[in-house]
Amino acid sequence: MAAVVSITGLTKSFGHSMALDGLDLEVSEGEVHGFLGPNGAGKSTTLRILLGLLRADAGTVRVLDGDPWRDVVTLHRRIVYVPGDVSLWPGLSGGEAIDLLGRLRGGLDERRRAELLDTFELDPTVRGHAYSKGNRQKVAIVAALSSNAELLILDEPTSGLDPLMEATFRQEIRREKAQGRSVLLSSHILAEVESLADRISIIRRGKVVESGSLEQMRTHARTNVAATLSDGATRLSATPQLTAVPGVEGLRIDGSRVQFNVDAGGLAAAMNVLTGLGVSALTVTPPSLEDLFLRHYGERAGQGLPQ
Amino acid sequence: MTGRHAAVRPAGTQPAGRPLTGIALTGTPLTGTLALLRHALRLDRWKLLPWLLVIGIFPTVSYSVYGSLFSSPLEAKALQLSLGTNPAFSLLFGPATDLGTAAGFTAWRVQMFGMFFAALMAVFTVTRHTRAAEESGRAELLDSGVVGRHARLASAVVLAWLASAAVTVLVGLALMMAGSEPAPAFALGSAFGGMGLAFAGVAAVTAQLGSTGRTANTLAATVLGVSYLLRGLGDTLDDSEWLLWTNPMGWAEKILPASENDFRPLLLLLAASLALALLAAWLESRRDFGMGLIAPRGGPARGRLGTWGLTARLNRGAFLTWAVVFVALGSVYGLVATTMSGIFSDNPFVKQMITFRLATEEQLLFAFVEVLLLVLAFIGGVFGIQVVLRFHTEEDEGRAEWMLSAPLSRLSYVVPTVVLAAVGPAVGMAAGSAALATSARLAGSELDTAKVVFQGLAEVPSLWLAAAVALFLVGLAPRARAGAWLVLVYWLLLTMFGPVLKAPEWLLGTSPFHVVPNVMESSPDWLPVAWTLLLAVGLLLAGLAGYRRRDLLSR
Repeated sequence: MAAVVSITGLTKSFGHSMALDGLDLEVSEGEVHGFLGPNGAGKSTTLRILLGLLRADAGTVRVLDGDPWRDVVTLHRRIVYVPGDVSLWPGLSGGEAIDLLGRLRGGLDERRRAELLDTFELDPTVRGHAYSKGNRQKVAIVAALSSNAELLILDEPTSGLDPLMEATFRQEIRREKAQGRSVLLSSHILAEVESLADRISIIRRGKVVESGSLEQMRTHARTNVAATLSDGATRLSATPQLTAVPGVEGLRIDGSRVQFNVDAGGLAAAMNVLTGLGVSALTVTPPSLEDLFLRHYGERAGQGLPQ
Repeated sequence: MTGRHAAVRPAGTQPAGRPLTGIALTGTPLTGTLALLRHALRLDRWKLLPWLLVIGIFPTVSYSVYGSLFSSPLEAKALQLSLGTNPAFSLLFGPATDLGTAAGFTAWRVQMFGMFFAALMAVFTVTRHTRAAEESGRAELLDSGVVGRHARLASAVVLAWLASAAVTVLVGLALMMAGSEPAPAFALGSAFGGMGLAFAGVAAVTAQLGSTGRTANTLAATVLGVSYLLRGLGDTLDDSEWLLWTNPMGWAEKILPASENDFRPLLLLLAASLALALLAAWLESRRDFGMGLIAPRGGPARGRLGTWGLTARLNRGAFLTWAVVFVALGSVYGLVATTMSGIFSDNPFVKQMITFRLATEEQLLFAFVEVLLLVLAFIGGVFGIQVVLRFHTEEDEGRAEWMLSAPLSRLSYVVPTVVLAAVGPAVGMAAGSAALATSARLAGSELDTAKVVFQGLAEVPSLWLAAAVALFLVGLAPRARAGAWLVLVYWLLLTMFGPVLKAPEWLLGTSPFHVVPNVMESSPDWLPVAWTLLLAVGLLLAGLAGYRRRDLLSR
């Protein structure tokens, strides 16, 4: 599949602070790409460079086969953007703001606009300064989705939306995807990314530390195994046998209960050991997105650093 | 802290009679005022300092150069005779009551400016901590703490009072150090500080009326503008001294620094401030957080704005306001200009005092008009800079980022602003000078309308330069954009007061307003104006190039 966004070795600094430090990112055509990271990791800076609002210091950036800094106008006909913190004109109504953005794009899909106002329950006659945070966000979402762009760049689009509206938003994004549009979705809401994204990139301190589908990421990550051994006499031999299996980590034995993490390569061998010891109960949990995420931000959660 | 300690303390050990919520329950509407005031003081240190310095030091400069201005007391007396009876100067600066002393001269020269700036300082301070803070959400965080209902308002008003008191003391002390008697020094300081007091009260009320900081500031500034006009007419027109008692500026003027040193009007200003603050508190308890008494109306569901429409819409309020100011000031100035013809005949000081480049006697009237046009031109400069900085506000508040995510080049985004900043002030100058000439003619003056309008338009390149300076800064050094205001104020002070304070010609020449030729001259020298234009175009192009190339500022 063709790449709609392809970034290699992107760096950007503001004064002395390094915002992006050799970032690589690729978004394929037709996919929803989750861009995951906490505040300050460099998500917004990356998106602003993709929009030609900031100029890259070094590295190559291609968007829809164009240079985002040079080909601003032609590229932006095919891109829409939802800022993370939408600021509206205090004196303009929401409807006027939507139509202003639509007009700059050379018109918008009238039917879709009406439909979106309805599904998001947004009153377009309210003046900008009177909208709540969530409603300001909705104005930008409606403006973006009522266009027919090929690439949607969304910077934490659901901040301030209530859970019902968040569900509506997910539904609308799936609908956009079904029409063949590509979406770059920056977020720190793991559930949102987990439910929407085909592929995920995790950014940390201006660098993408992991990228791939959730399944791919899981095969690289350790599976959590918890077992209850049936025979008390063999418990003593469990420790040396399991530590001998390559890829086993964090082994804890507490009475008859055994718990450890194991990578994909060692899973089969570890199972063999457990069967040999005699198992009365066994739980094998694949890593959740949260585990994957915390693996990279491990020191925060008090876990070990990735090696 | 209290909350956390209480939480770990076993039930029943909490000291009797001191429930946790006691402060909030027994608190008055003013609880927390001091804490908020301290917070506001810390926030405002650097914002208030320039105001205090400019207002505090300016009178001393004027005072210090007085000695070098007149070779004899007689000269000063002659000047007073010609100026004291001159309505144009009474209108602009207030009556010249005693130019025979340095203190009297200073009082006349700087009084209006000091009163104006002190009032603006108070207005901006109060609005910043009341309405603007509510609007931005800053207030919500603080007000959810242990804070009484009127604490925010009270802290803002008290802060403005403190700043006004500081102005009074600074002006008084600085003048005394320059050698003035204490009475006139502190009388002048009180005229400034008194205006600050009164307009702290005005702003407290307007902050309750408008639902945005901008509306609140505009309403308060309107009150100030009307005060200035009423005061000016009271000083100028026959049998209308009573007009001075209708507004705070008239009261402050009645302190008459250096001649009467009557401090009683200060009490009136203080009483007005207190009364207005109480009115504001009453209004505040009748409205909800974030809402104004002037209820915001809904807007249309559909819009047809593009970049041009948006620029027009964003500047509509400012444009209409300034248009009214131009026409109103122009008309009033026109009325005054007519009464002037016979006054100055062959007074040499007038030449020195008012303006420059006088060739023959018959052009004296026109020379007065030139000074009045200069005031209009300054307003035009303000408008141009305002339009450009309004454009930058869009970037500052994150809307430019959204706009520029559409298929819109940086250049097409900024062009409507450039055009408006060029056309707006020019239209204002044309309207203002036409109003001036028309009202002068209606009052029976011999002024040539076309010449007056032409002279007004001759100032336009200077206005463009002011706007171009702002655009240059927005394009290349956006964080220093407020410097455009400094440049304009520098030009104004230099052109208005430089010649009186005998500044050297090369220094005067750094103001584009100074080098504008008199169109009545037989061969006016347009070369400096051409330079002004060239410089404006250069700064504009550099600013545009910078804006296209630089990173958009993100919040």
